[in-house]
Amino acid sequence: MGLITNYNLRSMTVRKGTAAMTAGGFAMVVAVFVMTLAIAQGFRATLVASGSPGNAIVLRKSATAETVSAVLRTDVPIVESLPQIARGADGRPLASSELVVIIALPRQTDNQPANVPVRGVGPRAYEVRDTLKIVEGRRFSPGIREINVGRLALGRFKGLALGSDVKFGAATWKVVGIFTADDAAFESELWGDVDLMMPAFQRDGYQSMTVKLADASMFDSFKASIEGDPRLHLQPKREQDYYVEQSLAMTTVIRVFGTFVTVILSIGAMFGAMNTMYAAVAYRTREIGTLRALGFSRFRIVTAFLAESIALAVMGGVLGCILALPVHGLSTGTTNFSSFSEVAFKFRITPALMMGGLVFSAVMGAVGGLLPAIRAARIPVARALREI
Amino acid sequence: MKFLGLVLKSAKRSKRRTFLTVMSVAIAVFLFASLRAVLDGFNAGAEASSSTRIVTIRSTSLIFSMPTSHGEAIRVTPGVQDMTWANWFGGIYKDPNNFFANFAVEPESYLRMYPEIQLTPEERTAFIEDRTGCIVGDGLAKRFGFKVGDKITLQVGIPVYGTQDYDFTVRAIYRSGGAAVDNQSMMFHWKYVDERSLVKGQVGWYVIQVSHPDQAVQVAAAIDRKFANSPNETKTDTEKAFQSSFVSMFGNLNLLLGSIALAVVITTLFVAGNTMAMSVRERTTEIAVMRTLGFPSGMIFLLVAGEGLLMAVVGGVLGVAVARALINPNFLNAGGFIPAIGVNTGNMLVGLALSVIIGVLAGLIPATMASRLKIVDALRRVA
Repeated sequence: MGLITNYNLRSMTVRKGTAAMTAGGFAMVVAVFVMTLAIAQGFRATLVASGSPGNAIVLRKSATAETVSAVLRTDVPIVESLPQIARGADGRPLASSELVVIIALPRQTDNQPANVPVRGVGPRAYEVRDTLKIVEGRRFSPGIREINVGRLALGRFKGLALGSDVKFGAATWKVVGIFTADDAAFESELWGDVDLMMPAFQRDGYQSMTVKLADASMFDSFKASIEGDPRLHLQPKREQDYYVEQSLAMTTVIRVFGTFVTVILSIGAMFGAMNTMYAAVAYRTREIGTLRALGFSRFRIVTAFLAESIALAVMGGVLGCILALPVHGLSTGTTNFSSFSEVAFKFRITPALMMGGLVFSAVMGAVGGLLPAIRAARIPVARALREI
Repeated sequence: MKFLGLVLKSAKRSKRRTFLTVMSVAIAVFLFASLRAVLDGFNAGAEASSSTRIVTIRSTSLIFSMPTSHGEAIRVTPGVQDMTWANWFGGIYKDPNNFFANFAVEPESYLRMYPEIQLTPEERTAFIEDRTGCIVGDGLAKRFGFKVGDKITLQVGIPVYGTQDYDFTVRAIYRSGGAAVDNQSMMFHWKYVDERSLVKGQVGWYVIQVSHPDQAVQVAAAIDRKFANSPNETKTDTEKAFQSSFVSMFGNLNLLLGSIALAVVITTLFVAGNTMAMSVRERTTEIAVMRTLGFPSGMIFLLVAGEGLLMAVVGGVLGVAVARALINPNFLNAGGFIPAIGVNTGNMLVGLALSVIIGVLAGLIPATMASRLKIVDALRRVA
């Protein structure tokens, strides 16, 4: 086995040009595969990072997203009094009643208006979501028309800079701070005082409450308390589950689309590999005859040529991963259709994704190389030796 | 004729190889034409939009509404010929995954301003006269099997419309007479929805007809000026800008699909070029014999390049034909946010042009190789 694999691998260098072109074909397929899945990966990671395991979000019953949810003012004290919610140093519950509205701001790149989420939050919001960090400036002061801007929103939309004034909801808001949130969707948002946002947008009620549970395991009893209270028409969800649900529609579309394109493209590349391997077999008919005459079994010939094809494909796969790597970390944006607003996210190429690309290329190599390998093994020894 | 015969002969020399190459070009062209069709599908709404219709929305964003009193102010603005209004209802049909566009319109004026919504006069009257009536596009009707007379119940998706479900009766199934109106939507009476809304008299957007496209900008500015510094400031833009803002929500589609298409072309170039190079190498002796017989090197070049071109074009025709058959709204229905997609003649021509380019480029190097062959060396070579 060792010998024959060695023979096949060395033969590859004899036909450098052909081998390189075939590997190049595989490389392009794997690059497309990795890049499209990197979009789905990045989008999902951004939304999943938005939920923390110890938090719960409370929405109207059967609401699919915050933007179509409603929490009455009178619901808030009932929920806040529940014992499962963690308390701050002052004994007050760590809960933030919030309002999310969408405003249009011109994009930095093409000046086209895009939907930006504005989140009105309660005074404890920064304690409830502890991944949030102010990196520049300071938190907004309650009762003053000030906002904090997520780092990714900052670069994407015009007119958002520290100290600048932004006009929306019939009022002017001053940007006093910039925050990061471990790449979560919050980084695409603008945050301000919910009690000022409500009159500014002519709303009379909240849309959601996010609470920090005293312990993550208390979620079930928290859920039971809310659903058992006849005064509340609300439904709590684990924050992480909620954000996974939010990302599902978009990631499914991207995955289906990406898979469709790569599968079709890979058929083309496999045809190319078949061509190359058939030519390799034809070119080396005499050598194959000699090997058979020396006592190598048909099975070993098949495995050896399969190995050659797979090696070629994997080399292409490695090249494809390298080609795709520069997009890693590139930031882009798309609309999250669950909330109808724009979410900035980064392409994410994970080791698992690259492994997937390599496995995919190996499969392509195996499928493309199988028929030529079988043909190589079937060549009658006597005729092969006679061939010039 | 002799030329074509020779090209055909060499293409038939290795049938399997020719078949594989033709198929890989066909796949590339199929993908390319489909991707173009997807892109066209997204842009169609904006491209086909009327240049005499302008749309007024709240300056904050589309999700905010404005009072009906805006309508009266708009109607008396100089240059405004006609006007209608609508609300995004966002109702849910059984399951949130069954997404389709549904909105409340003022039926008479809306149908008047959108001649693209094709109804017979009887259907039109039936819809206008039934307060709980609705019309659905033929694409949507096909997707869920709606028939005239059916009851459709929508759950409320946006809290402002109350909590009770809304019942509608299908009064007509409309056909779309232009890409500005898709055939995947449902429309019903604004009045019916308004009666049950928590806040009455709210309008999502106004559509205004101006008499001449040149007036659009001027009238739009005049409308926005009227509401400047009021609690409900507006932003008026052409229908095209309104529609393309939806397309741009997907992010940079052009760039994404463009780079995939480029990868498709490069992959195919590798595959086809490789094949041609292999077939030239295999025929080295043959080509040398032909040169000895007096074929000029230019002729050899043309023969090899012609073979590449032939295979690519056959593949191209095949790919385009399959794309045409598979990617059309009758066969494929993505539904929801993704518009109806079909491969049109333009996409087919682009696909064919692509196959010619692939054929020429892939044949270039091998053909040069073949024409530059040194006869003596080639004849001496074995295999």
